[in-house]
Amino acid sequence: MKILYNEPSPLETRVLSRRFGLENSERLDTYLATGGFEAFRKALEIGPDQIISEVKTSALRGRGGAGFPTGMKWSFVPRNHPKPRYIIVNADESEPGTCKDRLLMEYDPYQLLEGMLIAGIAVDSRKGYIYVRGEYRYLITHLERVVEEAYSRGYLGKNVAGTGFEFDVYLHSGAGAYECGEETALLDSLEGKRGIPRMKPPFPAVSGAWQSPTLLNNVETFSAVPHIILNGGQWFAGLGTPKNGGTRLVCISGHVNKPGVYELPLGYPMLKAIYEVAGGIPGGRKLKAVIPGGSSCPVLRAAECDLAMDYDSLAKAGSMLGSGGMVVMDETTDMVRAALRIMAFYQHESCGWCIPCREGTAWLRKMLARLDAGIGTPADIDLVGELSKNMLGRTFCALGDAAAMPTISIVEKFRDEFEAKLQSYAAAGLVQVG
Amino acid sequence: MPKINEIIGSAAAIAKGMSVTFREMLNPSITDLYPDAPPLFEERYRGVHVLQRDENGMEKCVACFLCSAACPSECIYIEAAENTDPKRISGGERYASVYNIDYNRCIFCGYCVEACPTDAITHGHGFEIASYNTATLIYRKEQLLAPLPPGAQVPLVVNEEPVGAGH
Amino acid sequence: MAELVTLTIDGAQVQAEKGALLIDVCKARGIEIPAFCYYEGLALQAACRMCLVEVEKMPKLQPGCTLPVAEGMVVKTDTPVIHEARKSMLEFLLANHPLDCPVCDKGGECELQDMTFRYGLGESRFLENKHHVDEQQWSPVVFFDRPRCILCYRCVRICDEGVGVDALGVVQRGVVSAIAPSHGDHLECDECGMCIDICPVGALTSGMYRYKTRPWEMNHVGTICTHCSNGCKTTLGVRGGQVIRANNRDHSGINGEFLCVKGRFGWDFVNSTERAQSPMLRTNGRLEPVSWSRALMTVARKLNEVKQRGGRVGFIASNHTSNEENYYLQKLARQGLRSNNIDHHRTGDVVTLIDALAGRTDALATVADLYAAKASLVIASDLAQQQPLLHFQLRANWRHHRSRTYVVTPGPVRERKFAVKSLHAEPGRELDAVESLRDDLSKEPELVILFGDAIQGDAVRRLVAFGDSLGIPVKYVCLLDYSNSRGAIDMGLAPGLLPGYRPVAEAGLEPGMTIAEMLADASLDVLWVVGANPLRNARLAAENAFVVVNEMFLAETAQRADVIFPAASAYEKEGTVTNVCGEVQSLKKALKVMGAKTDLEIFGLVAAEMGIDLGPFQPGAVFEEIRREVRGYNVSLPVIATGGAAQSVPLNGRVPALTRAELIQSARDTLFTSGTLGRYSKNLTSVLEHPGKLYASGIETP
Repeated sequence: MKILYNEPSPLETRVLSRRFGLENSERLDTYLATGGFEAFRKALEIGPDQIISEVKTSALRGRGGAGFPTGMKWSFVPRNHPKPRYIIVNADESEPGTCKDRLLMEYDPYQLLEGMLIAGIAVDSRKGYIYVRGEYRYLITHLERVVEEAYSRGYLGKNVAGTGFEFDVYLHSGAGAYECGEETALLDSLEGKRGIPRMKPPFPAVSGAWQSPTLLNNVETFSAVPHIILNGGQWFAGLGTPKNGGTRLVCISGHVNKPGVYELPLGYPMLKAIYEVAGGIPGGRKLKAVIPGGSSCPVLRAAECDLAMDYDSLAKAGSMLGSGGMVVMDETTDMVRAALRIMAFYQHESCGWCIPCREGTAWLRKMLARLDAGIGTPADIDLVGELSKNMLGRTFCALGDAAAMPTISIVEKFRDEFEAKLQSYAAAGLVQVG
Repeated sequence: MPKINEIIGSAAAIAKGMSVTFREMLNPSITDLYPDAPPLFEERYRGVHVLQRDENGMEKCVACFLCSAACPSECIYIEAAENTDPKRISGGERYASVYNIDYNRCIFCGYCVEACPTDAITHGHGFEIASYNTATLIYRKEQLLAPLPPGAQVPLVVNEEPVGAGH
Repeated sequence: MAELVTLTIDGAQVQAEKGALLIDVCKARGIEIPAFCYYEGLALQAACRMCLVEVEKMPKLQPGCTLPVAEGMVVKTDTPVIHEARKSMLEFLLANHPLDCPVCDKGGECELQDMTFRYGLGESRFLENKHHVDEQQWSPVVFFDRPRCILCYRCVRICDEGVGVDALGVVQRGVVSAIAPSHGDHLECDECGMCIDICPVGALTSGMYRYKTRPWEMNHVGTICTHCSNGCKTTLGVRGGQVIRANNRDHSGINGEFLCVKGRFGWDFVNSTERAQSPMLRTNGRLEPVSWSRALMTVARKLNEVKQRGGRVGFIASNHTSNEENYYLQKLARQGLRSNNIDHHRTGDVVTLIDALAGRTDALATVADLYAAKASLVIASDLAQQQPLLHFQLRANWRHHRSRTYVVTPGPVRERKFAVKSLHAEPGRELDAVESLRDDLSKEPELVILFGDAIQGDAVRRLVAFGDSLGIPVKYVCLLDYSNSRGAIDMGLAPGLLPGYRPVAEAGLEPGMTIAEMLADASLDVLWVVGANPLRNARLAAENAFVVVNEMFLAETAQRADVIFPAASAYEKEGTVTNVCGEVQSLKKALKVMGAKTDLEIFGLVAAEMGIDLGPFQPGAVFEEIRREVRGYNVSLPVIATGGAAQSVPLNGRVPALTRAELIQSARDTLFTSGTLGRYSKNLTSVLEHPGKLYASGIETP
């Protein structure tokens, strides 16, 4: 048996990850032996309309971060369009704190392929692309083997599983740009251009890759589809809370005893996830803050963490479920340093297309580095907050927001730490404050 | 008697007048002894302009033309040129290859000094510019420039290795 | 008529075309929405975020430059939130901007400066180190200062979309992303400088104008470029008797923002140190400077003497002189000296075209037609090299209206990138190739045919017959080389034609000699060459002929002269010129060069000295006469006086053909050469691409 990324927890509800841990789980034979391609055959039987309505019923929401209802997205793709339609898997998993898609691709790639095939049936498409993050070099080789096996065994190509359905899958490697996880930038990159987000509308569903209707979803979203088709949308929806169907892979990292990827139903209590699923905080230290869904989400204070992990509850708490990358920070964490680290990431990854993000992230990184070194005045702390707010909602794509939101929340919620830093350096006679 | 009164009155008047004279003779003089001694100026006196240099002797003027744009009597004429590494005159990319002020027209209003973004042009305390020949009232840059600080060398020859445009 | 929608902008009900961009609708209403990256006619970017507006029912601020108006939309452009947003965008922009306005060439006409004054913060809150990159020189004419760049991508777009060269791109990402040439560290392009002109800040600067002066220090004179026949409007920036730069500052005229390398940088011949500055007279075999009166008297006496003894006088006229000068010259020749020996270097067969059109007045295309026509056919010309504005127009037409272009050329040309069909045709076989396009062309709703000098004489007639047989409206452009090539033939600078294409017989004269005949005529007594250089590749048979030359430079012909009159260039005179499409535009005098006189003055003074009365020699008076006398030139004065272009329509009957194939030949100037003027322009000869090559560009497929 392969060594898994982490030990599974008995508290998990294992749907998408149910094959994790099986011997040769990535092989077609294992997949077929565990109910593989049954959903595909059923999907062919029930037809596109029924597929889309099942996905709608399942209350599945996009697992990439934005949480857009998947069924609705699928229904936007015009099926009788003169141009070909494309299925594109967004496997450009680059959000700090998120590491679920790599497991899905590594341990259960056929589940993803089957999800793509079903989507292909739903929108009458013959071609699919998997856009894999450039840094996942090993996964490309791995997926190449899988796709090759699928072709040679007749599960891709002219006659999928002997059903007469035709579908081709191509792999495409990114070149190391976080920005290309944004769906339209991904399309540009896929087309061989500079990865810059496109103007919306038109949305990719209408005019995406090569100006054709394009269905673009996250790896986890596609991977959930076979289960929805096989067991019914109702069943999947029942796993979670209303409007938040199913389970999702939560990547818990940071100050926990058992960091790892755990599949939990939507609406799972956050504190339970931290203290029971992930084994609590080492050394019995106190919880300070949690980034609930990848580095672009506003940070929650420990006191705010008593909530259910679903899209709506988190939105109410002023944060987001995002891409499922939960970063736990205990009392020893330097929040100024955390803000700097996050901003350094976004500054490095800003594509430079629009002014507020290009200049704002760079400016904020320099300021935060200065504040982290204890140099500055209280007015500088206000300026960090103000500049972030000036970025928020005014950038071309969501990257600017992603950089602004955590910064705003840290400055607001942990202002005392900034001040303490300035004070301590001033007290040490290193700098003058005010 | 009237005669005597007249004499006494006159003597008193003279004494009164002379008392002022004698008193003032003892007080320090408030008159400038120009041209025998140099005149005194208030700090902000607006005299003949001086084009300043920086601490390295580079000209501060970057030939931005703002002084000539601000000048109400249009008496400043500038021609600009580019600094090159072998021949560096000013601190900026550009310097004034020609800088003339026509003192036939200058009204010493100081607008040029206010307009200058680099504090290059200032009013000096020079005022002895009267001339029988108006042509001599057009001052060239060489006449306006402040003296070189000791040890400075202008134009500066820069012989440094080219720096890459990295970040 | 497009569908109209009603929307509310700042509380006022506005009707606008459905789908129009909000920024344009606001502009038409007099509401300014500031923007850097938006540029009319270029692809939309929404990158600068300056144009954010509030739209009801939309949670975020929306960029006005990409937002199509829709029914019932409620827009606010003037709220505290928007002011705040604009302020913050400018603050971000200025964060790494060097603020070296006092030395920046753009200072005074910088969009960033203007916007900051109007919408920005008073002072900077950016206390960190600014990102610095050293200035780069990309070509003799283009310099790039990265820190000043605000990444609006206008340069990239105008180069790729507008000119079709694709010489610029973006490298790196984030705050260090930068505009860069496609060839690494230098440009290999048209060197047109459109990128410099379109740059809203001082990031791209011109090698010729750099650090020379400030915008408000120059006199800006809008005149017509004196190089090729396209007749682009150019604004000369003149200071202290020197041309310092040229750009079409107000984007008016037939060319809008367009100028090619010649128009933008090829003006330096004006201030060349090699300009003739004094009349010269050959004494004892050597050319010696003499006074104007001496030179004028010598020429007048010689002409009078030859006239009295019935000698032979010939005139070779120019392609660059104004209509007034051309008209006056032919008057001097015909009325003054009773000589029809007058000709100029003809570069296209306009005469046969006008004859073949037989009086039709709607069959000559204007430059604007090239932008509006549904289809066009280019025959035997490397348009991007020889007729840059016409190429720009066709390309813009394709970009904006998806017009269809057909190309028949002897080699690869840039129009092939967007042409629907492009055929290779050996010289002389062009019409066969055109014939093979008959099926495609006859399906087009309309067509503009542009043809080069390879189509002349009978071929022009056959081409017009072909056009007629298509059964669709067809317009023609006979491509010519020089700034007033068209005006020269219109003004009757041909041995068999009076002004307005009237036969010389109408004036009771016999046709005179052509250039070749004059040069070959051993008994020629006087040859007067005006702004031409016929002796560059030929020799004068008449060893003893008295040669008078009006010239700017002592080129080959001037070396043979007995008298040289230093002539003024087109930038030093008033008058009108006619472009390749017959559009008349006025020249404005931008400066005076010491010692030179305009050709009109020279002709007038010689005539006066000879004792002939040819009427006043002021440009305005001569133009009035032209409008009265020359067929088709009764153009609207207000249009011309206000800097517009009025098409002359010299068509109201057949004209006598005088075509002899060997007489019409293009000089094959490329984008980087321009006859004698180009030889004396250091700016033009300094670029890497000089001298350029025809039929060598645009080989790549899209």
